[in-house]
Amino acid sequence: MPEMGNVKAQLTELFLKNNVEVPSNRKDLFDKFIRDDKTVAATRLISELENQLMANWKLQDRIATIQGQPVRIHNASVGKLYEAKLDFEQLGWTDLSHWKFEGLEENGLTFEEEQKQISGKPVQSGDIPLRFLFKLKEQADDEPFNEKLIMLIVNPDPKSLWKNLDSDKNDPYWKEDNITVCEPLGDRYILASSKRGRSHANEGSFREDDFAFMNLENGWSIVAVSDGAGSARFSRKGSDIACRSVVEYFGEESSATSLQEFDQILEQHKAKASPDSSTKLNHYVYNTLGKAAFTVHKRLEDFASKAGHTLKDLSCTLIFTLFKRYESGYAFLSFGVGDCPIAVLNKDISEVTLLNWIDVGEFGGGTRFITMPEIFRNEKFATRFSFIEKEDFSYLMLMSDGIYDPKFVVEANLENIAKWKELLEDLNGNNEGGVKVELDPGNKEIVQQFSAWMDFWSTGNHDDRTLAIVF
Amino acid sequence: MTGEPIEAVKNGIQVMISSLRQNPQAIETAFISIITFDSTARQLVPLTDLASFQMVDIKASGTTSLGEALKLVSSCIDNEVAKTTQEQKGDWKPLVFIMTDGIPTDEWQSGLDEFRKRKTAYTVACAAGSGADSNLLKQITENVVSLDTADSQSISKFFSWVSASIGVTSTKVEDAGKEVSGLGELPPPPSELNIVT
Repeated sequence: MPEMGNVKAQLTELFLKNNVEVPSNRKDLFDKFIRDDKTVAATRLISELENQLMANWKLQDRIATIQGQPVRIHNASVGKLYEAKLDFEQLGWTDLSHWKFEGLEENGLTFEEEQKQISGKPVQSGDIPLRFLFKLKEQADDEPFNEKLIMLIVNPDPKSLWKNLDSDKNDPYWKEDNITVCEPLGDRYILASSKRGRSHANEGSFREDDFAFMNLENGWSIVAVSDGAGSARFSRKGSDIACRSVVEYFGEESSATSLQEFDQILEQHKAKASPDSSTKLNHYVYNTLGKAAFTVHKRLEDFASKAGHTLKDLSCTLIFTLFKRYESGYAFLSFGVGDCPIAVLNKDISEVTLLNWIDVGEFGGGTRFITMPEIFRNEKFATRFSFIEKEDFSYLMLMSDGIYDPKFVVEANLENIAKWKELLEDLNGNNEGGVKVELDPGNKEIVQQFSAWMDFWSTGNHDDRTLAIVF
Repeated sequence: MTGEPIEAVKNGIQVMISSLRQNPQAIETAFISIITFDSTARQLVPLTDLASFQMVDIKASGTTSLGEALKLVSSCIDNEVAKTTQEQKGDWKPLVFIMTDGIPTDEWQSGLDEFRKRKTAYTVACAAGSGADSNLLKQITENVVSLDTADSQSISKFFSWVSASIGVTSTKVEDAGKEVSGLGELPPPPSELNIVT
């Protein structure tokens, strides 16, 4: 029963709204009117309807607020397990009575209502609006659900995005996209592969890495690897020339004569024959390898000027190692410019010896090239050469950064024998796809096996890959 | 920047992100950060990998604190872009895109001095509309693009160009050094030569 005062106030307001005045001679009539049962019932009804209207409005407003509220759930990726929890407390959704998602299944997802958790493996990529349905506690059970769209960004699986487009065979500097070989080298075998990276395959551009090797006179062998700079227009030709030139250089007669000298210099050095025997050896290494490196630089320069390119267009790194077996063990002579490492593993794989230091800049990709004249003038030039002797060795490896980056990541790991053991285990099939290379010259499948291994997947590492293993 | 231009920028970034997500190289390697500058400069999104990136609301009104923005991007590069060390693999050098529709209202020279000390793979400045001064932006970088009008069509064109650049550049940005030519012969060995130990 509404109080009489309320009825009076309500009617006074109503009269006012309708511009109806109650003159003093109608006051008694008005008093009687507000006490009338019908009037009281009518005002009560009005009040109730008004309250209901307001409650309805509040409800609609609340629903609209929730619908407009930004809800962020982290991004998903196709084929990868996804979990996202809706934190109702944090969202201020404590007034919800029912909730569910519709259509999640077609995206490979499910929703646990009690846990308020979306989970599953998304099947398609894109910006997907998820339909969240909810009811508020104030809503009647038979009222329909309200709908809110929550945007879920699903990234595509990068593996599905890479294209494999052929390179242009009519290009004058075309080279095979992929090459893998296994041949005898010295008293050992060499297994070498150079593969076009996915980043190049995706655009139909060329492999920029290269390698070369050769049996030389007098028991020497040489292996060279070069990585063409991605930013240089004709680096694929540069790396080709660099590898071929250095191998050719040592194949020339003058080099053969010079290498013969080495036997004697080494012997004197080992016998400590004279006080200056090690100086002689130092100078021999510097002059012989230095000349070779410089010849490569000159040949690149000649080629560039004849072809009307700049030397920079041919930018490439270069590493090479000469090795020979003596009675007492193996001698290795190396040179390197750029970010490609050379390493020798001892017989029982307990020790790694690095034959060069690598040029890594402050940021990714910052390296040095054989095409840069300044490297020959730099004070560090002499430190680019090395000579070591090993009684025996298990593996000699030369690689481009396409292998070094995914397998060693940082320079410090190159000195870590455990990392090399991991690489050997990896080659032995301890990898995602179980791809195994049996490093045995009798293995007739060795080329196919190695070629398959070289295609390993490593997120973000899709540069050209070159790996030469002497075993 | 308000109204249609800022909406166009938001839309442009959104489209750019969507298209970059379709680029395998970008989705595996690219990180993005957004800094806005009006009366003050703010980093709205810290350096975030493309796969996790979510667009935020961008607002810009009032003045043009370009100097402060250049200072902020410099300190963000210091803090968020990893350099190569023995134990850590460095990030690629950052690409910086600057877009403005006004002329700086702060003491921007000191910001420029800071920014110049940082290494970027390249920096592109975009003068959007007649209110911006492309000659002034030339002091920041030689790569200046200017849009005659800051309407949604021009802005969206700019962003499709930006996304193409990110896609291409994230493949490799090398420090190819300066071109020095002319070297007659191999320099003689230094007096201290210790190859053999």
